[in-house]
This record gives sequence, structure tokens and C-alpha cells, in this order.
Amino acid sequence: MALLTANSSDYSQTMVTTTRDTVVDESTWIRQAQRADQKAFEALYRLHIDKVYGLCLRMTGNVSEAEDCTQEAFVQAWKKMGKFRGDSAFATWLHRIAVNTVLGRMRKSKREQDRIQAVADTSPSPLSTTDTGELRDLSEAIDKLPAGARHVFVLHAVYGYSHNEAGDMLGIAPGTSKAQLHRARRLLTQQLKQQGFEV
Amino acid sequence: MSKENDDRVFEAAKRLTTEISPDRDLWPDISAAIDAPRRSRWAPMFAQAAAVVLLVGASSAVTYVAVKGQQVPGPEISAELLFEQTSFGGRYNLGPGFQDARALLAAELDVELARLSPESRSEIRKNLELVQQAIHDINQALEQEPDNALLQKKLLMAYREELSVLRRVSGLSRNVMMRNDI
Repeated sequence: MALLTANSSDYSQTMVTTTRDTVVDESTWIRQAQRADQKAFEALYRLHIDKVYGLCLRMTGNVSEAEDCTQEAFVQAWKKMGKFRGDSAFATWLHRIAVNTVLGRMRKSKREQDRIQAVADTSPSPLSTTDTGELRDLSEAIDKLPAGARHVFVLHAVYGYSHNEAGDMLGIAPGTSKAQLHRARRLLTQQLKQQGFEV
Repeated sequence: MSKENDDRVFEAAKRLTTEISPDRDLWPDISAAIDAPRRSRWAPMFAQAAAVVLLVGASSAVTYVAVKGQQVPGPEISAELLFEQTSFGGRYNLGPGFQDARALLAAELDVELARLSPESRSEIRKNLELVQQAIHDINQALEQEPDNALLQKKLLMAYREELSVLRRVSGLSRNVMMRNDI
């Protein structure tokens, strides 16, 4: 049983008891949000925040940047709600927006990119408290990957998107996605071996 | 790197957490961003469009007056043209050479205008006011968007147009004088 907590909203008392109920509620909230109902959109936010923030954090490797990307992604989602036709799951649609946001912010400023990289280089992985044991080592190794390889690895290996889907989200050909994944694997294996991780 | 190693990396990757809660609630900031009124893009766009229209109109009218070339000396110059303070966006100021030329021509304007016919004088005054109104409007738009490169460009164009009108007035009156002398 999952409890959906939506603070300071009419939905705060909504208890989602089954997956089916969640889907039913989600589609209702989507329709209401498409009619500019902000409280329904807040309910959607509460339902999906962890998925979107998780992806942003995996892709950026930086807490502050991931928070900014998440906020921007939800603002973009609000503006584009009318365009959601239900061709894909709402979570996938949100993921796509989040990936675009991360890439957009990185393209926007090379200087910002350098800053993010510098922070990532000097700070312990923000995911170190989320993952444990060997997974923590892997998380830290992923954070150190070059952006292109990291994005493909996160989308394909962690989130399970196909090369076509990942390539589509990242604006690269499926073949490029495969090449980046190969590069990511090689770099990860090297890093993990150096850390004494048995691979 | 063996396939077995690849598999182990992939197996581990699949077990990584995909849903992570942020340390703080991000909704208040998102809500504020959604609630924030959208900044109107019309004001600067109108200013730009108006500036273009005014500049083209002013330029055409001054050229018309110059070609027409009528001369009847008029004695009284009563109305005063106000010259907008020169500024050029948040980062730039007009150069001292430009400022000096502008100040000199502006100071001589009344004398130059006195040599022209009342009709020509009135036309030129009207056109200068249009250009200066455009400068004023663009400056106001720049107060909201000091780094807007397009507005800065338009403002520079407006200043140049103003200087050009002043120069043409000066040249026009001299030409008239020369014809009188003959």
C-alpha cells in the first residue's frame, strides 16, 4: 500500500491503495491539470517527483543542479500539459522533459558545465547515501563518466530505455548511443578495478 | 574486458535506485514559478516596431523636405526640442565624439531652422520629435531589458538617425543660403 502525501492540497488525504487506483487517479489528475488545475498538477508532482529527481541526479551527479533541473522540468511539464496525448506513460513523458532540461541546461553554458564538473570532481557522490556497498562504488564511478557516456549509461543500463529511446531522448543516433554505452562500460570497468571492485 | 565483466556491471546498474527523494520539497518553488505572471514580450516588441516605423518615416520625410528645398526666412523660433539623455543600454555609453557632434548640431539647430520656410521647419521639428520619441521609448524598454542586444542596436540606429537629421538640416540651410547669395 502506498500513501500519497500531497502537503497543503486537497489531495493530502488521498490514499492510493493499489496500482490500478494510482493509474485511475493519475489519469484524472492529468485531465484536471490539462485544464490548468494546479492542485491536480501538485498531486502529479508528488506522485512522480522521486522518479524525475532520481533521473536528474543520476544524469548530473550534483544535488543542486538536479534540484534545479527537476524544478525546471516540472515547470516545463505544466506549460506543456496540453500537449500530453497519452501516447506514452506520463512518467516516460516526464522523463523525456527532464532529459531535455538537463541537456538544455548543459548546452546553455559551457562555464556552468565546467562548474558542475568541478563540483562533481571535488564532492563525494550525492548518491553515496542512497546506494550501499558495491552499488555505491558503481554510483560514484558513473558520476565520473564523461557526460555523453554517463547519459547513455543512465538511460539504458539504469532506467532500461532501449538505444532507440535513449538516442531519441538525447538527440543522437542509436548507433552513437551504442558506442557511448561501450565507452561507458570500458571506463566503468577500469575505474571499478582501480577501486578493488571485482568485475 | 570480458562479456562476463560487462554483465556484472549491467547487473549492478539494474539494482541501482531509480527513485530518489530530494532533500527538500521542491513544490513551493515550482508553484511560485507557475504562478508568476508571464513577462510581457509585447512592450519591447512594440517599442522595436515603433522605432523602425518612426525611423523610416522620419528619414523619408526629411529627404522629401531636403529635395523640395523651399526657402522663406522665418523669424521666430519658439518651440524647444528636448534632447533625450544619451544612454546606450546597461553596458554602453555613446562615445564622446558622437556626443560632441550631437551637442554642437543641437545647439545650432534653431539658427539653422530659422533659415528655412515655416513649412520645412515644421516638418523637420515633427520628424525630430518622432526620432526622439523613438529614442525615449527604446530607452524605456531598455530599462526593463538592459542587455537586450536588439534594443541596443535599435537605440544606436535611432541616435544615428537623429544625428543624420541634424546634419541634413544643417546642410539644407547652408544650401539655401548659397542659393540666396547667388
